[in-house]
Amino acid sequence: MAYFLNTIMGSIAPMCVTALVTLAITLIFKTSYTTNFAQGVISAFGAYMVAYFLNQKGLPIWASLPIGMIVSMVIATLIDVLIFRRGRYVNALGKQIITMGLISIIVGAIPLIFGIAVPQFTAFIDGTLSAEIFDGSVTVTKNALVCGGITIVVIVAIFVALRFSKWGLSVRATASNEYVAGMMGINTHIVTAVSWGLAGALGALAAAINASSGNTVGIYFMTNYQVYAFLAGILGGFSSFYGPVVVALMIPLANNLVQYFVNIAGAPEMTKWSMVIVYAVALVIIFFKPQGIFGKRIAKKV
Amino acid sequence: MAKIWDKIKHSAESFKGKVISLPETIKTSADKMVVRFNHKQLMNLRRNLEFVNVELGGLDAKYDKKAEAKANAFVRSANKKLAKPAFDACDKEEYINALLADKMQRYDKRAYMSHRAVNQSTARALFKATAKGEDTLEILAKHLEKMNSLSAKRSAFEEKLSAEKEKFLLNNSTADDTAYVTLNATLEKQYEESCTAVATKLAEAKDKKRAKLTAKAEKLTAKIASFKTEEKDRQGVADDVVLSVKNLKMYFGGLKAVDDLTFDVKKGEVFGLIGPNGAGKTTVFNCITRFYNATGGDMLFENKHGEVVDMRDFKVHDVILQGISRTFQNIELVKEISVLENLLVACTRSYRTGILAHAVGLPLLKKEDRIFKQKAMGILKFMGIENYAGWLAMGLPYGILKKVEIARALMADPKLIIMDEPAAGLNDAETKELTETIRRIRDTFGVTILLVEHDMGLVMNVCDTVCAISFGQMLAIGTTEEIQKNKAVQEAYLGVADDEDSATEEENEQAPVAPETEETDKGGN
Amino acid sequence: MNKFLSNKYAFLGKEQKANTALTNKMRGALKNSTWQFLIFGALICVIGYLAVNKVIPYSLQSGIATTLAYSIAAIGFCLLMGYSGLASLGTGGFIGIGTYSVYYIMNESNMSFAIAIIVALLVSVVIGIIVGFISLRIEGIYLCILTLGLSEILRNLYMALEDTIKISNFEIFGMLVKRQSSIYIVAVVLVVIMIITQNLINSPTGRAMLAMKNSTAAAQAMGISLIKYRLLAFVICTAYAAISGVMLMVCMRAATASDGTGFYALITSLNILAAVIIGGYKSIWGAVFGTYIMYGLQTTLLNRIEVLQENPVIITFVSGVLVILVVMFYPGGIAQLIWELKGKLKKLFTKLKEVRYGKDLG
Repeated sequence: MAYFLNTIMGSIAPMCVTALVTLAITLIFKTSYTTNFAQGVISAFGAYMVAYFLNQKGLPIWASLPIGMIVSMVIATLIDVLIFRRGRYVNALGKQIITMGLISIIVGAIPLIFGIAVPQFTAFIDGTLSAEIFDGSVTVTKNALVCGGITIVVIVAIFVALRFSKWGLSVRATASNEYVAGMMGINTHIVTAVSWGLAGALGALAAAINASSGNTVGIYFMTNYQVYAFLAGILGGFSSFYGPVVVALMIPLANNLVQYFVNIAGAPEMTKWSMVIVYAVALVIIFFKPQGIFGKRIAKKV
Repeated sequence: MAKIWDKIKHSAESFKGKVISLPETIKTSADKMVVRFNHKQLMNLRRNLEFVNVELGGLDAKYDKKAEAKANAFVRSANKKLAKPAFDACDKEEYINALLADKMQRYDKRAYMSHRAVNQSTARALFKATAKGEDTLEILAKHLEKMNSLSAKRSAFEEKLSAEKEKFLLNNSTADDTAYVTLNATLEKQYEESCTAVATKLAEAKDKKRAKLTAKAEKLTAKIASFKTEEKDRQGVADDVVLSVKNLKMYFGGLKAVDDLTFDVKKGEVFGLIGPNGAGKTTVFNCITRFYNATGGDMLFENKHGEVVDMRDFKVHDVILQGISRTFQNIELVKEISVLENLLVACTRSYRTGILAHAVGLPLLKKEDRIFKQKAMGILKFMGIENYAGWLAMGLPYGILKKVEIARALMADPKLIIMDEPAAGLNDAETKELTETIRRIRDTFGVTILLVEHDMGLVMNVCDTVCAISFGQMLAIGTTEEIQKNKAVQEAYLGVADDEDSATEEENEQAPVAPETEETDKGGN
Repeated sequence: MNKFLSNKYAFLGKEQKANTALTNKMRGALKNSTWQFLIFGALICVIGYLAVNKVIPYSLQSGIATTLAYSIAAIGFCLLMGYSGLASLGTGGFIGIGTYSVYYIMNESNMSFAIAIIVALLVSVVIGIIVGFISLRIEGIYLCILTLGLSEILRNLYMALEDTIKISNFEIFGMLVKRQSSIYIVAVVLVVIMIITQNLINSPTGRAMLAMKNSTAAAQAMGISLIKYRLLAFVICTAYAAISGVMLMVCMRAATASDGTGFYALITSLNILAAVIIGGYKSIWGAVFGTYIMYGLQTTLLNRIEVLQENPVIITFVSGVLVILVVMFYPGGIAQLIWELKGKLKKLFTKLKEVRYGKDLG
């Protein structure tokens, strides 16, 4: 039982990271109508930024995190204003390719700006908590709990804003039909720009959480989470905001749980197949429910 | 508890029954497989027969083309042979004059450009000078000088040419046309002989080929006949009826788009389906062509091969093989390929070669391509748009594209063409032409035409029978006069009787929208 | 009255044209795409020969060989996207089918190269059929992400099987294939693939695929079965990707599954997609050229510039900018760019004439 609880505690950080990245990707998908392949590297850029303030400027992490988030927010907004807005009438595939071009640009820019050395990262808070429950001790790092807290606060804040604020209404209107929303007097330019900015900030936060639990930063270290996020997007159904986030919380958990059960079953060498199993289950679900678990069926017109 | 026990018992019994009937189910499924296999073989035979028939139809054109090519080749070789004697025969002075005149003309063409350049530069200089108030005489003098030099050049060239002429005349002087005349005469005789020889030879080859093909066709028909062990009954469809729709129902959830609709389409008539927007006309079409799976009812159709079949037995992409092809409300052509290739899309199922043959590029494929292209050209000629055959469908005007779509529908040798608003987007003249075209199609190909249309003029002009529906239910069916007089139709469709024109015009504005159950929920949180 | 040479002077100036018959024939051959592909293959072989004999640097040859190997996958993708209107992001995973069948068949089981190719084809056909069935239910961006998930499954599978694989020199028809001479095999296979693809594009199959891309409803009404052609498109795409994997293994001799920028990573799928978009998604030459830009440009050309040699990241940066510019301003890719350039050159020539001779006022 303690082992089970430890498994769950160990998945807190990946769950936070995936949920944040998924929310960022969903925001961009719904306002810009494209899957943002660059989300991973944009997030990594944010983490580099935080690490820069942390290491070079010697700021504490509580100060450098907001600064890094703001900087990557500005950069993501600029990406929308300078590049994406001009390619607004490029077709859907073209938009994806633009995000791909962004990958190359950012991957090239990171060493140019921050140097080749791999920056070190620190945890938000050191130390662990442990308790004796049932048959053993359950241990959890304080850092994971802090990360979970931040994530919950941020996600709840965004959902509240989406549901009740005027900005949220305009985002939902844009998501449902950009053209009509524009005609109804919503400035869709601002809506998409803010969404990109938010996505950049969320990405930076996610990358910082990821880095704080592993203590290092890398260019491609968010790619895996990005793939999880895409999967969560279609598994939860891009038609709502909450669906992808809920599924995003489940994917890393499922991965760890599969490992747990495989270990329990006495086949520790099989743990490397855990992700394959999770993906396969996800694909089967998508095949039988193409609109996603939380999505609604849209009838096809002939 | 007892209930649960009953349930378990019941399920166990049903399972037992299944186990016992297992050999039977295997047998029936094996039978089904045999039937399917036979059906597939029959379809293949029919496709082959169709192909042979198409080949037979294009035989004349093929051999004419061959004869023409042979004649052209002969003329070319004769011209080559004649070149030398013709040169000997001609009056040398005349010849050299013609040659030099040609050269002079070319020189002048070149010189024109330099003249123009001089004129332009002078004009520019003059303009500048007058604007500045400078002396223009100098410029004019310069211009004259340039012009003089140009004419001097020309006279020098003329001199060169005349020298050439003298030299030429010195070398070749005599004109002897005996060789030319005799050769010409013999060649002409040879030409006629060879033409007749080729004609007889080709006619022989043609007859041989025709005999071969007809034998093949007969063999195929015999084989096909052997498949028909018993005559299928017509399932209550009258002999002169091609499509019989009985109690057709199409429900979208609670919405009854088509409700208990029954009508018969007779062979060789133009049948119009009219009704206000949302009446379910397009839904009827989509049910017949299997885009929608009808909730209930029968759609019996006498197919290409004279059998009465229920359309519900076929998949969407097999409908065309039964002999129903359709055109669309919005043009649905392939934009990136030419008009001719668009027509070929309709006979994708008529190709006998498979994907592997396509990948390797077998000669058989080329032959098939040629034969189908010939057929397509014939249909384009029939529609009067053969000049557009090589054009991309992308930039052509709307009227032409509509015609291409009808041609594509014809390409599949249909028995019934379903047209979804053929006149939408056409102007008055084009609509009139369309009326003519529809009549011609019916008369030449013997096709039955079923159309949905909002243009009352077209419907009243071209249709033999009109069926008016409203909210998925039949209002009236009959000839155009009967429909025009029908009170129910007037009320439901035309609105107030004396406001007829404006009502139809309003209807023209909007395309009918098929009832749909679209639920979009995107912004929900 | 005469049928022949009715004008006695009709043959004037004909003697000059007689000699051009041969050149006309050659021009016709150059316009025939099959001949173009064969000439292209011969040119590649010449480059390979020069590289083996150390006339030109070896890095040039290996860069070109990699480009060619990847462009097989790109051509398959071209057929999938440009002609069938479907998209997939599983190319990376599908490439792995080829590399692992080479490894397991040739290195572990000591069987011949041909069997490796056949196994790769069989496995990829199965995978292609699976993806094709999925594509009947799911379309667009969703399908993209789904194939991406499938690719990730495959990558995890590869990591679980054997992370790093290596092969040594092997024999084909009794000839030893060294790493230097692998370019010949790649060139031959690529030319065959190009010819097959061109044949398919110009056949009823290609037309049916185009019809399906334009409107599924119209295509079905014309008797085109969605199942058949979607499955076919995916089978071709996966099979080409697998062959591409085989060729990559032949060129590179080693692969690592857990490498974030390796053969099976997401970045490969994206790069192939970008290559096809940049090159113009309906042209075979475009696909090859786009792949060259994504994979070959750096090793063959840019690495020779000293500034870039010191800072290779600049190339990544610039290529990103290039991709974005092409997509934003030339949605038809480089094929469109060349087409427009032709028109512009024509305009320039007329303008030059105008400058020289003055404007034609008439």
